[in-house]
Amino acid sequence: MSKIIEVHNFTKTYGDQVAVNNISFDVDEGSVFAFLGPNGAGKTTTINTLCTILEKTSGSLKIAGHDVNADQAKVRRDIGIVFQESTLDSNLTVEENLALHCDFYNVPKVEVQDRIGFALDLVGLLDWQKAMVKSLSGGMKRRVEIARGLVHFPKVLFLDEPTTGLDPQTRANIWDYICTVQRQKNMTIFMTTHYMDEAEICDKVAIIDHGEIVAFDTPSHLKRMHTSDIVKIKTSDGIGLQEYLRKNEIAFSEKDNVFMVQSGSITATLDLLSRWKDSIIDFEVHKGTLNDVFIAITGKEIRK
Amino acid sequence: MRAIKAILLRNLTAFSRDKMRFFFTLFMSGFFLFIFSFVMKAAATGIAAPMSYLISGIIIMTVFQSALNNSMNIIEDVASGFMKEIMVAPIARWQISLGQIASATVISVLQGMLIVIIGFFIGLKLDLFHFIEVAAVMVVVGITFASIGLYLATLSKNSSTFQVIISVIAMPLTFLSGAYIPTTVLPSFLSPVIYLNPLTYTTSAFRSVALETDGMTEAAMLHNGIAFDIGGFIVTPHIALTIVVLIGILFFSLCVQRFNRADFSQVKVFHRRHR
Repeated sequence: MSKIIEVHNFTKTYGDQVAVNNISFDVDEGSVFAFLGPNGAGKTTTINTLCTILEKTSGSLKIAGHDVNADQAKVRRDIGIVFQESTLDSNLTVEENLALHCDFYNVPKVEVQDRIGFALDLVGLLDWQKAMVKSLSGGMKRRVEIARGLVHFPKVLFLDEPTTGLDPQTRANIWDYICTVQRQKNMTIFMTTHYMDEAEICDKVAIIDHGEIVAFDTPSHLKRMHTSDIVKIKTSDGIGLQEYLRKNEIAFSEKDNVFMVQSGSITATLDLLSRWKDSIIDFEVHKGTLNDVFIAITGKEIRK
Repeated sequence: MRAIKAILLRNLTAFSRDKMRFFFTLFMSGFFLFIFSFVMKAAATGIAAPMSYLISGIIIMTVFQSALNNSMNIIEDVASGFMKEIMVAPIARWQISLGQIASATVISVLQGMLIVIIGFFIGLKLDLFHFIEVAAVMVVVGITFASIGLYLATLSKNSSTFQVIISVIAMPLTFLSGAYIPTTVLPSFLSPVIYLNPLTYTTSAFRSVALETDGMTEAAMLHNGIAFDIGGFIVTPHIALTIVVLIGILFFSLCVQRFNRADFSQVKVFHRRHR
């Protein structure tokens, strides 16, 4: 697979403050990639530099083979961006906002109407074409921004915290739209988020903290490497289970006959459960999350 | 070209939807016409057609204010976030500034024309040739002050206080330009301010075409406050127009140049202005 984004030794400083410190990473064409990290970690700085609105301090950044500083115009043609904050023109209608965007990106005039229809259909706002943007709710505005970001069919779609401040249902829908368009158009998605659970759908994630990439892998591999399954067991034979766990050197904690057992693998979990099936009253298996990965790697919970 | 046209149409659409603002400017022009007509009758001696004299001043001040405000409006696009959408689009900065100046000019000339039409009902007379001349001078004034407005906007670091400062500076300049009150009745200690005020020349150039003063003698023009005697040098309306054109060229190149390098991400936004 070819690399659509190539970043090598990228550093960005604001005065004395280092926002991004010498990071390197690649993104495969047609993949979904997420930058994870707390606010102030350097996610938006990286996105803004890739989008040509910030100047790098040093390093090299390329999109589809074009340098983001030297070939600014070519890079801009290839990308779509959904910013953290609203950048819609609230005095125009939904359709007018998208049409204006098509003019800016020189979308062939005969295609404009179809493309607007496609993009608005995708985010479920086809009936709202003629509505003034200022009359829409926050979630709808966000959907209009996403539709606008992809109406010119960019090679890479950047999404900077696309779901921040939205209700859970809207958040889930937005990921549906993004995944649909990614599959249909083989678009590369580059997003940042501090909702760890949202990064699960990604092909690859980079965890960034204090301007440095501390982990770079697939979500499942990261979880396998840095977390283990926890089995919560409620038992009638607390003493017996406790003895067994001690003897087999399995890490656990216990309170009122409820055990939190770090079982390690699925086989180990199944083995443990079948061995004690007669005395188990209830059990739950907690899979490791990316949040656990983040805590394991950085030694702290994600700062929101 | 497509991007410039798109920006132009977008600004015209936004303007046409902001009806309150449109009626407010119209109301202010009417109000000034009403109030200053009394001043003209009482103070201006020897001015042949005081109402036409006054309305020509009001027309050009409308063009001036509208051009300045509409091109400075780009600050509000920065505040609303829309500027970011323009900045990451594959269009050149000079195209953005051209689109902005073009739309501010078109809007200001349209507003000026509206006052011209009102003027026809209260004594303003123009033949076709002078009507075209009047329109041409309006376009020149529109481009000049739209350029100044855009230039000032690129200097701004703070969206809301900036526009207040501009209106505080612009207000006295309009009163010291001769547009509402003839400069001939103003005290002589204000002369340096009047002569340094670009609006003085804007008014004089426009008034001379609007009042069809082609045949007027130099002495009469001086008496009417259309020409100025600065230490023996007579600034005729033609020289005044040249001054306006030169200022326009200067600020047009300055603003396009500055706009190319302006960093709008640094503009502080405290609260959105409601207009």
